Amino acid sequence: MPRGNITPSLLLFATLVSALSVLAIFGFLLWFAAPVFTGETLSSLLSWQWRPQQGEFGILPMLAGSLCLAGSAMLLAYPLGLGLCCFMHGLGPTWAARPLLGIVRGMTSVPTVVYGLVSAFLLIPLIRAGFSGSGFSWLAAGLTLAMLILPTIVLILDSQFRTIHAQTQLTAAALGFTPAQQVLRLTLPLSTRGLLVAAALGFGRAIGDTLIPLMLAGNAPLLPHSPLDPLRTLTSHIALVVATDSQSAAYGSLFACGVILFMVSLLVNLALRRLRHE
Amino acid sequence: MSKPVPPEKLAQAGAWLAALGVPAILLALLGFLLWRGVPGLSLALFFADTPPLAALRGAPVFDGLWPACLGTLALVALATAIAVPLGVASGIYLAEYATGRAKALLAFAIDLLAGIPSILMGLFGFALILFLRRTVAPDANTGLLLSALCLAVLVLPYVIGTTRLALENLPLQLRLTGASLGLSPGRTVRHLLLPAALPGIFSGVMLAVGRAAEDTAVILMTGVVANAGAPASLTGKYEALPFHIYYLAAEHQSPAELTQAFAAALVLLALTGLMFLAARVLQTRLERQWTTEPTP
Amino acid sequence: MKFELSRLTGRLLAAVVCSTLLTGSALAGELDVFAGKKGKIDIAGGTAHIPVMKEAAKRVMQTSREIRISVAAGGSGVGVQKVGEGLVDIGNTGRPLSDEEVAKYGLKSFAFAIDGVAATVHPKNPVGNLTAAQVQDIFAGKIGNWKAVGGRDAAIHLYTRDEASGTREVFWEKLLKKGTIAANANVVASNGAMKSALASDQDAIGYVSIGHIDETIKAPTLDGIAPTQDNARTGKYPIVRKLYMNTKGEPHGLTADFIKYILGPDGKQITAGAGYLPL
Repeated sequence: MPRGNITPSLLLFATLVSALSVLAIFGFLLWFAAPVFTGETLSSLLSWQWRPQQGEFGILPMLAGSLCLAGSAMLLAYPLGLGLCCFMHGLGPTWAARPLLGIVRGMTSVPTVVYGLVSAFLLIPLIRAGFSGSGFSWLAAGLTLAMLILPTIVLILDSQFRTIHAQTQLTAAALGFTPAQQVLRLTLPLSTRGLLVAAALGFGRAIGDTLIPLMLAGNAPLLPHSPLDPLRTLTSHIALVVATDSQSAAYGSLFACGVILFMVSLLVNLALRRLRHE
Repeated sequence: MSKPVPPEKLAQAGAWLAALGVPAILLALLGFLLWRGVPGLSLALFFADTPPLAALRGAPVFDGLWPACLGTLALVALATAIAVPLGVASGIYLAEYATGRAKALLAFAIDLLAGIPSILMGLFGFALILFLRRTVAPDANTGLLLSALCLAVLVLPYVIGTTRLALENLPLQLRLTGASLGLSPGRTVRHLLLPAALPGIFSGVMLAVGRAAEDTAVILMTGVVANAGAPASLTGKYEALPFHIYYLAAEHQSPAELTQAFAAALVLLALTGLMFLAARVLQTRLERQWTTEPTP
Repeated sequence: MKFELSRLTGRLLAAVVCSTLLTGSALAGELDVFAGKKGKIDIAGGTAHIPVMKEAAKRVMQTSREIRISVAAGGSGVGVQKVGEGLVDIGNTGRPLSDEEVAKYGLKSFAFAIDGVAATVHPKNPVGNLTAAQVQDIFAGKIGNWKAVGGRDAAIHLYTRDEASGTREVFWEKLLKKGTIAANANVVASNGAMKSALASDQDAIGYVSIGHIDETIKAPTLDGIAPTQDNARTGKYPIVRKLYMNTKGEPHGLTADFIKYILGPDGKQITAGAGYLPL
């Protein structure tokens, strides 16, 4: 760290580099996807059939797969995360808050691939034995993904709760609130921003994860009709198809998937920004 | 008592369920991992049939984890070395200097960067190499440096976000103190705000290190391979722990190889856990330092 | 010593014997060409090739510490693409290159082994024989229960490979006669992954390179013919292919030495040890 003053122009430069990297990524994706988005291949791209050998490169099943999987993981993880945070800030015993937060913090250090490995050899056989099918399914990936995104949600909520809690401490005491009342009636309603940030980032993490669906979801390119069906996400599609010949439509479809994923995160961020400003 | 259950009680029940359920699931995961992985833990796991001392001096290791461990360490060190200075600087700028539309725009770009899936960083890296080869650098190739660069971009928003948040969440009194002491804004940042925000910044670095060590999707597309030996150069192919686990989980040709995958998972978990703990210890020490410093 | 080892699988035995022989003078000669050399070879692509490449790479790297050989998977598609783009030195394929691929990238192929592709199931699956028509119907999703082909009353779990796979292409062309593969089939990324997936799912069916068949998976006879390397060599078993190494243009330097080594007597032994028929 430099002694004395920090040069604002140097800081600005660093910020510009960081901010421009996102443009660079988008530019590259768009550049490589451009041949697919123009011309007749677009209609082949926006179909439900992925059969490269027959010249059909539909990526809609993967888009649907990504949304299904991320949505279901959020449905599981968000209430769980919210419950954990409320527990740590008033609904549970005070002594339990610190160790619990420690555990959740510790979860951030669990590698995705470890979740994938354990699920592949613990959860998959259980699902195979308990239900029908091969076990590689939406259900397996959804459950595992929920665990993966849980700490993201909890840690954001916790820091928000902490700030609000400190600000409302006196008010709550003056009103004679119990800790439970304080978290439910004051902290929670005042934490809208944190709630939304947690939701958006959790969803972003869920839809962007590659390894969990790649290892657990079975990767069949079709729309799942039940939680026991396999699915393929945009991310695992990219990982699977990056192999193909660099000029064919299959290759172009990779970058199209990339552009779609990018657009999804753009939309999430735009929505978030709007909500924040209201 | 025919009244409906008060929402407080319901919420409390839900909270208890979550608070008991999550640790229980984690315990099951960890238990399973230990049960399957511990039998595979031995020197042979790392060095296979190469004598350990020889391996430490650089003898090639085959079928052991050693090259993958070295690869992951090199990767994380490089990625953090790129991401942390850039990220902390950006975070400070966004929190303390940027204003108005410029701030909104820059912050939005960073938020967007945070939302980009890691596989896209990998795809970007891969495309970058193809692009470079066709234009200015026909010899450019995927390898350690490219992976580290992509990983750095991946973890950058973590560092920026936590730095910014840590600074912005500081109490107003601290800023007023700076002003009342007649410090310039730059000095206020350097001498008052940054020290106060350090724990927060370190938590960001902690997140970044953990993320860089565990990510598989980025390296999958930018140069990691199943067999390469210890990393030898910045441009060479390399092995890495997370990829090794992913590879063995799918490719194990014998129960012994699967045990190796679980043992490798334990090693990776220990590695990321250790980094995590080290960061925590550092963080609490800095916190203490900060709280004791003002009273000489 | 060797008798104690005899309970291990044949492949393991072969590997052990090979590495024991390595120190002997008989094989040292072929590796001499690498002694004192330095450089790197990057290999990627076909997943059936990996056991052979790994073993050969290990021996070469033990001969000279200055040589670094990396072996990556991905499938035949990756092999063609990466070697074509010049990202690796050797791109492996489990299928012949198309004229288009050769023309576009100027690739040169070196076949080093014959291999077959067989439909495979879990070893506990009672089904011992399948006709080609049955296999086609199973993979098309027309037959959905093992009972229909003489097995137990259970849903068939389909496993297939991604489109980059040469194994998939050969299986699809020669056995499925370019018929459909049901879209709900689980997709796995390599021969090794297919093998371990089948080994852990009692109701599974998939297909692997014959070199990968061992006691953990079972290959039912196809129209009464056992998919063994012997039957593949004589042509009795029809679903065969060659394994190729491909380079961009004429190979030179270390790459040429390595290919020569694989094609030489030492390489043939490694190839046979991995369960393939050396050419």
